[in-house]
Amino acid sequence: MADQMIFAWLAWVFPLLGAVLTPLFAAINKRVRDFMAVAFSFLAVVSTLSLTPLLLEGDVSWPLQSQVSWLNVEGSPILGQIKAGVLVDPLSIIMSNVVSIIAFLIMVYSIEYMKGEEGLTRYWFFMNLFIGNMLLLVLSDNLIQMLFGWEGVGLCSYGLIGFYYKDQRSGWLKYWVGEGDESYPPSHAGMKAFITTRIGDALLFVGAFIILAFTGTLNFVELQNGAITKVPFWALLPAVILLFGGPIGKSAQLPLMEWLPDAMAGPTTVSALIHAATMVKAGVYLVARMFPILYVVTLVSSSPDPQAMFYFIAWIGAITAFVAGAQATVSTEIKKVLAYSTVSQIGYMMLALGVAGLSVEFITGYVASIFHLVSHAMFKAALFLAAGSVIHATGSRFMRDMGGLKKHMPVTFWSMLFASCSLAGVPLVFSGFWSKDMILEASLVSGEYLLFVFGLLTVAITAFYTFRMVGMVFFGEGKSGSSDVGGHVNHLHEASPVMWVPYVVLVAGTIVLGVLGYFARHWMVSLFEYLVIVPSETHPTVVTEYIVAFLSSLAIVVGFIPAYWFYLKRSKPADMYTQRYPFLLKVRNFLYNRCYINRVYYCLIVYPTISLSKWMFSNLEVRVIDGFNYYLGRFTLSFSNWMFFNFESKVVDELNYRVSDLVKRTSLYFRRWQTGSLNDDLIMVLAGLFIIVLILKYLISAG
Amino acid sequence: MIAFSLSQIIFVPIIASILVLLIGRRIGQKVGWLSFATLCYTFILLLIETVNLPNTGFRLTESYPWAPIVGDFALLLDGLSAVAALTITLLSVAISVYQIKYMEKEENLDFYNALYLLYFSGMIGTVLSTNLAIFFLFFELMLIPSWVLIGIWGTGDKVKVAFKYFMFTEVGAVVLLAGIGATYMLTGTFDIFQISGVSSQLPTTILSVVVAMILFGLFVKMAIFPLHTWLPDAHAEAPTPISALLSPAMIGIGGYAAIRILYTAFPVIAFDKNFMYSLLLLSVITMVYGGLMAFAQDDIKRLLAYSSISQMGYMLFGIASSSVIGLSGAFLIYVSHGLSKAALFMISGVFMHDLKTRKISEIKGLASKMPLTAICALVSFLGLAGVPPLIGFWGEIFVFAGAFYASFNPFDTARLVTVVTGVVLSVLTAGYGLWTIRRIFYGEIPDNFSNAHDPEWKMLYPILLMVIIAIIIGIYPRPLTEVISNIVKGFFS
Repeated sequence: MADQMIFAWLAWVFPLLGAVLTPLFAAINKRVRDFMAVAFSFLAVVSTLSLTPLLLEGDVSWPLQSQVSWLNVEGSPILGQIKAGVLVDPLSIIMSNVVSIIAFLIMVYSIEYMKGEEGLTRYWFFMNLFIGNMLLLVLSDNLIQMLFGWEGVGLCSYGLIGFYYKDQRSGWLKYWVGEGDESYPPSHAGMKAFITTRIGDALLFVGAFIILAFTGTLNFVELQNGAITKVPFWALLPAVILLFGGPIGKSAQLPLMEWLPDAMAGPTTVSALIHAATMVKAGVYLVARMFPILYVVTLVSSSPDPQAMFYFIAWIGAITAFVAGAQATVSTEIKKVLAYSTVSQIGYMMLALGVAGLSVEFITGYVASIFHLVSHAMFKAALFLAAGSVIHATGSRFMRDMGGLKKHMPVTFWSMLFASCSLAGVPLVFSGFWSKDMILEASLVSGEYLLFVFGLLTVAITAFYTFRMVGMVFFGEGKSGSSDVGGHVNHLHEASPVMWVPYVVLVAGTIVLGVLGYFARHWMVSLFEYLVIVPSETHPTVVTEYIVAFLSSLAIVVGFIPAYWFYLKRSKPADMYTQRYPFLLKVRNFLYNRCYINRVYYCLIVYPTISLSKWMFSNLEVRVIDGFNYYLGRFTLSFSNWMFFNFESKVVDELNYRVSDLVKRTSLYFRRWQTGSLNDDLIMVLAGLFIIVLILKYLISAG
Repeated sequence: MIAFSLSQIIFVPIIASILVLLIGRRIGQKVGWLSFATLCYTFILLLIETVNLPNTGFRLTESYPWAPIVGDFALLLDGLSAVAALTITLLSVAISVYQIKYMEKEENLDFYNALYLLYFSGMIGTVLSTNLAIFFLFFELMLIPSWVLIGIWGTGDKVKVAFKYFMFTEVGAVVLLAGIGATYMLTGTFDIFQISGVSSQLPTTILSVVVAMILFGLFVKMAIFPLHTWLPDAHAEAPTPISALLSPAMIGIGGYAAIRILYTAFPVIAFDKNFMYSLLLLSVITMVYGGLMAFAQDDIKRLLAYSSISQMGYMLFGIASSSVIGLSGAFLIYVSHGLSKAALFMISGVFMHDLKTRKISEIKGLASKMPLTAICALVSFLGLAGVPPLIGFWGEIFVFAGAFYASFNPFDTARLVTVVTGVVLSVLTAGYGLWTIRRIFYGEIPDNFSNAHDPEWKMLYPILLMVIIAIIIGIYPRPLTEVISNIVKGFFS
């Protein structure tokens, strides 16, 4: 076992090394650079796959840990010794494999997709840096080290969203995001992503440091083994809720969700890897990582309050799933549909983790979220890569410029269709069905029926927007007359195999997982059984499973019918209904304006900060503070002037003149006696002598 | 052990400055290399002594009888002063190369280099001395050369700005001197290690007034709100190499001295909850205020200056935490800010030197023409924002952890609220940093900059060096945290 731990280190060291070496390989030539970049990501796959045999061994005592000393702060009660370490358990093994395998497929796809772009060295550098940081995040055994990866992936996300940093207006159709007054150039979107997630991270810091102040450690294993109980409950609840701020930012949940749709300004490969399959799952991963630790607290504490943190996460997830799904129904850009869909699906995962904490039998919800994470990673990466092929072919990110692509791009069409079925949760043969139903089951079993209803509504919405997208892109007539794209439609053709093989593999994966779904689910439950502390009898019964399957299938049909009607069969345009019913139009506009959440960011945070700073600079800084300093200076000057004229000149100096005047006048008076004649002088001498004699006589008689 | 190593570190540059004046005219442009060589020598000396520190029990002292009353001319190299001195020396060495190119068209370079060396000696002397009277002497030595440097080689309204700089610091220095004098009256000694023995027996009210006077002087140097307005002017109008020393190296010395004097000489005050809470409040105001002001600037150097004010707020945030981890964090912030800000000021100098402008609104889209400069600027701003794997990450983590630890032991609501405010608003740093990067480096490049390119090696390598060191010690900060915490833990025993 111990010999396998080395792979948990190598898994993230290889890609990081690959990233650092990229400029060197680039100096040799372009082919070497591209090949080596992909090779290093392949080494990560090899490393993470080497960990999987552990899952099959029956008698592993999870979690496995391997640590080295990192830095010391001597004499400090908190963070005195920080160790770097890797943590290997089913959660990290599954997650790291998802990351490395999908990343590798996307790296292969990138060779063709990014061919001929400027700044590819930068691209490969950031991609490998991302893979390394993501695996570091996943395999870390403590929060501090995890933050290295956490912030690292954020940095890569920033760098890659803003990959087309020149913001050229001419590339608007492909490289920007949004339209109207909410359209942003890539560099803006990158900055927005970084800063929004950073707001979440600041809250995460607060939460983590509150925990740290009591426990003195942020090592996951130590926390689980009782350190967490040192935190008094009144501090733990706010700490955990603030800690969730990080995942809310990173995983684009409400209210910090709107950066993710704008992150679509990056190359499609980046959207697929970072903003769908892996990085945005980091938040879910962190919550899943903290979950068993926090679940311990609910068992220790007798009051019902501990559940508040799970309610919090469940509701955030449920509402986000619904709101983001609704926004996806009106998006005009193919990648934005997928982005909102990602937000919505991550909402499901959060919901699953939340309801898991609310149930006595947490394993269903917990495994459901991980299962959905895996299956979503596959089908969403496939969808993005296929969408990339479509954008590559049509030269536009807008779905209105697409249509009728079914016959031009059959492989892409079928891949996208199957992946969409998985996203919508079409029963039995698609992995999305099993994982989504497991989440719904968990929320039903937890007894929170309102959460279940939200989940079910989102299923219908998901089906609608998914097939709306498929319909708009692949069905109907080809758009030859689009003003922006021009004649592209005439030479539309299927993407090259280097591009379609990766997404076909992913689609095959989602179908295989779907066919084996029932067994996969039970296998995963058995993997995580070691987490169960208090065994419980209330497994979801087969009846619940059937009820949920029936209801969700019904919801899919409800969502599918209008999508089929408007976008696949296209018997009537959807606009007709929005024109006929003003209420529908209002809803549409509300959703199209991103529920005004994005505007709120700008109007409540961005613009006020900038105008406040400008106002404060010109009024407080320049006028008051520095004004006071200059006033003090001027006051000193004028005071000294006043003193000079009134005191120095009129009093002090006047006195001097008076004194000298007096002396002068006295001397003038005595001058009259200085006649210069000898007689007068002798008289004076005699008079003087006489006076001296008198004084001496007086002194002697007195003495 | 090298004989008189600490005195050499201080006095060799002073002697060299005379040499520079004597032969400077004759060797012309090459005079810069003379100061480079001198600084290299001190750097190597310092490095050897620092590496050797564990063998001397982490305390290397030198002491010479000096004058009656004042006491000994005492120098100390321990974990704290070694880190601060190494940072200052490293920056000075790097900048001495940078300025050879940057200042090539200027006149009186011999005089310039002599002052540069004197300025360096002033800074190093302040860091190494443990006698308050001698500390004050070097504190003033630090001021005068920098005042002349701004006044002669500065830009804009340089004479006025230099005067303002001088006056502000001098007012601070006078109050500091009064504080030092009062300390002497109360304790009968200028030596900070001897003061600590006596000071704990004195009434806290009197002590806190004395400490407040000393801190006032140091806070003017540190540019803590509202004593900061000299800084944006001085940093913006100083010749860029001097800006790159003023901000990263010099103002932080205020923080260094605050830690040294407060925790060594006046431990009673350092653990006084109310006094430290007032420092915490000041620090949060400074952090946020500096960050906000940075948003409003169009002049890069002025923006960097306000960012320095904000960073000094972070440093004070750590100082106010009264915990091992917070104080260690304050030191890491000093190092991190030193490296990042030096790089950023040098980059602003690249714009001034090559593009003849420093207005953000006039610069755009430079990333494709100056890729290395762009990378360095990005990494440096991220270092300020505390993004791993840069040393700034550890600084930020440590000061935050320390502040939280202090607010829970014992629990104090007001303190906690202040700390949370500070931590949440630390987002501002990332905000102005990335926004500046975007405005300078992204977008389409205007035609008049189509010939822009990365600067030549003399200006580029020093910048790269800062960035590389920030990354390396960020990944493996252990040597740094070990020497620092080794001394800091002594404050708490």
